[in-house]
Amino acid sequence: MTSQDNVPLTRAQIRQAKRIKRFDNPWMNPKLIWGAGLLLGIIFLGIIGRFIWDLDLVFTGSSPLKLPPLGFENLRGQSGVIDHPIGTDGGGRDLLALIIVGAPNTLFVGLLASFIGMSIGIFLGFSAGFLGGRTDDVIRVGADVMITIPPLLILVVFQSAFGDVTLTMMALLIAGFVWQSPTRLIRAQVLSMKQSGYVQMAQLSGASTGHIMFREMMPNLVPYLFGSFIASVTTSIVTAVGLEVLGLGPQRIPTLGRTIYEAINAGALIQNLWWWWGIPTLLLAVIFIGLLLINLGLDEVSNPRLRKLS
Amino acid sequence: MKLKTTLLASSALAFAAMAGTAFAQDVSRENTVIFDLDRTIQDPENFNWMTPGTKRMHGAHQTMWEPLFILNYGTGALDPWLATGFESNAESSEFTISLRDGVEWSDGEAFNADDVVFTTNLAMTNEEISSREASTIRSQVATVEKIDDLTVKFTLNNPNPRFIVENFGVRIFGSFLIMPEHIWSGENAATFTFNLPIGTGPYTFSSAASNRAIWDRNDDWWGAKTGFMDLPAPQRVIFLESGGEESRAQLMASNQLDAAQNVTIGTFEAIQAQNPNVIAWHDGYPYAASDPCARQLEINTTVAPWDNANMRRAVAHIIDRNQIVNVAYEGTTEASRTMFAQYGSMAPFIDAVVEAGYGLPAAADTAGGQALIEAEGWTRDGDYYTKDGETLSVNIHVNSASTEYTRTIDVIVEQLQRAGVDARAVPVENGVFWGEVLPFGGFEMSYSWLSCGSVNEPWASMGRYTVKDVVPVGERSPGFNNTSRWDGPGAEAYSAIVDDIASRQLGDPEVPALVAEAYQYLDAEMPFIPLAQAAKLLPMNTTYWTGWPTADNYYNHPFFWWNHTHQIIHNLEPAN
Repeated sequence: MTSQDNVPLTRAQIRQAKRIKRFDNPWMNPKLIWGAGLLLGIIFLGIIGRFIWDLDLVFTGSSPLKLPPLGFENLRGQSGVIDHPIGTDGGGRDLLALIIVGAPNTLFVGLLASFIGMSIGIFLGFSAGFLGGRTDDVIRVGADVMITIPPLLILVVFQSAFGDVTLTMMALLIAGFVWQSPTRLIRAQVLSMKQSGYVQMAQLSGASTGHIMFREMMPNLVPYLFGSFIASVTTSIVTAVGLEVLGLGPQRIPTLGRTIYEAINAGALIQNLWWWWGIPTLLLAVIFIGLLLINLGLDEVSNPRLRKLS
Repeated sequence: MKLKTTLLASSALAFAAMAGTAFAQDVSRENTVIFDLDRTIQDPENFNWMTPGTKRMHGAHQTMWEPLFILNYGTGALDPWLATGFESNAESSEFTISLRDGVEWSDGEAFNADDVVFTTNLAMTNEEISSREASTIRSQVATVEKIDDLTVKFTLNNPNPRFIVENFGVRIFGSFLIMPEHIWSGENAATFTFNLPIGTGPYTFSSAASNRAIWDRNDDWWGAKTGFMDLPAPQRVIFLESGGEESRAQLMASNQLDAAQNVTIGTFEAIQAQNPNVIAWHDGYPYAASDPCARQLEINTTVAPWDNANMRRAVAHIIDRNQIVNVAYEGTTEASRTMFAQYGSMAPFIDAVVEAGYGLPAAADTAGGQALIEAEGWTRDGDYYTKDGETLSVNIHVNSASTEYTRTIDVIVEQLQRAGVDARAVPVENGVFWGEVLPFGGFEMSYSWLSCGSVNEPWASMGRYTVKDVVPVGERSPGFNNTSRWDGPGAEAYSAIVDDIASRQLGDPEVPALVAEAYQYLDAEMPFIPLAQAAKLLPMNTTYWTGWPTADNYYNHPFFWWNHTHQIIHNLEPAN
């Protein structure tokens, strides 16, 4: 070990090193890490919870009614018990079991709806931007028309007509309303990228349209697509929770939105059963903050000018 | 449908906020009494109560249309109202009603025997009108004639000692309402909208929208002029759709509602903690008044696999009534042993059924139920039973107006799921539930209380499931009778015994044995499954009005959506 190794770096040097590191790997920015951490936490809760907690407690009548979380008392003067550490709801369901099952469900609907919506959006956006002409007109007008329709309104009608829906069914319905924005954004990006040298070079060398669209251009859009994906996950979850809070989601599959719906419907606010509506609301907040942080982080990845220098 | 309720809840809140300002100009809050309405008014322009819809319980039959008699649940007597009394012949096949002198319609015309004869004939001759009250009259009355201006004589098809209380006495919910001949004559009763409506009551119609109806006092009311009764104290009566339990509770706590529909006991205690002026039927636990309509699971006996009596009995075995009482009612009621309301006056009949071995246990016998299902060729495959590649499933319709209803079905769904039946709840808005789902048989199973009727004799309930009321799915069940569409040899044997009971005088000592004999068919075929006794916890607010019906002030029961609410309104007094 030479003495040189022990010389501490100056402040400026540390800053410099950090800066270079950050430019080296923009994916390691704290916003992204925190955001992903929050979401992984929810997923982790779902996975671990399944092993250590009795999930049959999500069903009506499986637990005593309206017990408060440990360390609190409800209006009747009952205090929380260890068997139900964060309380039970008015239908005799254990809230811990509800969130272990419900929170990943809520996230799942958002991810699935967004994944399908994005896939449609990528396909249509690339086709419109790259092919142009009639195809562009049809896709553009279609997306423009769809973007003006308030999704919740249509979905409410759909869901009421379908009655009890499954999570996947709900995700599919929502996916029908989250493809327009990605389509338009990707189309705009493709239009500008189409003029760039490497695309024209590929065209000159006789590459197929599919090859140029998905092999040449798409990799350049990955951070951008990620950002768009996360934004539509947020939209999808908001829509899904909106439907659930109106009582239109799946009936027997626990979701955070439905738990809030049931709390409101059964007068949890006036009975001061805050854990019943408060804990799902808190988890929804965590999911949304996580998604927002990821989105901000991805912005920095795709747009180097946003990366702060210190 | 749920959404509708929620949206309306918010508009109701908006309206309530508005009520403070917009309506305060003419009638102050102190002079207004606001009742809770548990459904939307789908056709607020229509006041023809003989057609289906929310056309009477939004204040019309509580304030504007008066009954001839009112059955007093406290004394058991028939309080005279528009009539003064009645006489019948020895075999109860002819009834002569004496009308009160001096009764006027709100437009000044006299109310008399002509109106009674006219309205009865309307119900008897027009096959299209479908309300329960009208179809009961149609099936019972042979002729009606005017003796003089204040006397009407009814001749019945068959002897019926209960004729008056059943049709004109507000025994359950409503009564056959008399309409003004001078307005209705020449109109088709199946399509007439009767807008602007008039009645003989102390209030006249002011305005209505889908979530409210407003009724203003008629200071020229006949009752005050003739000395029948003083003018009621409230100058204005509003029926307001409050929406769900939460908004109901908030409106009650903030004095924007004077009487609310059923809430759970936890909510009631919370309301009382915030607003000590709020009372209920009993001062303390369990607060609730027992409702004569026991809850049940109605089964459509025409839909496979539930057209099989053994499958229905299996469901009856699987249902744990104790859990329903504990979860849906938080222990404030008791499990049903038979189809009847567990009133003291019904005890002889209930005891006869239980002694004959047809009483229902409060606890479940899941294994017994599963054995019945397996005996029908179903095998458990994973979570659910299957047969020929088909999963054993059932949709259970429930009206979403009250947590009591939805939670009962949630509990049953859970019990069935665990036993291997893929059950689902289908919540439906109250108006749609009663208007479209139940009467037309558009369900597999449904939450209901359609064996409701008996309070002191067995026939009124039992007579609702006889074969004469069976209609195909898609047609309207007459008067919500036998919506299960229960038919076949068992149902016919049952109907024969029930018809025998019908012709017997009240108090006939042989009736309990006949009830038990008829009940064997209900027990064997289970066209419906009795669940729990209903208890209504109705918060009533004494901030502006006192004189609400309670166990200590028992002038009648507190179910203010019934036709007897005239008595409640007359008993109200300003708090200050």
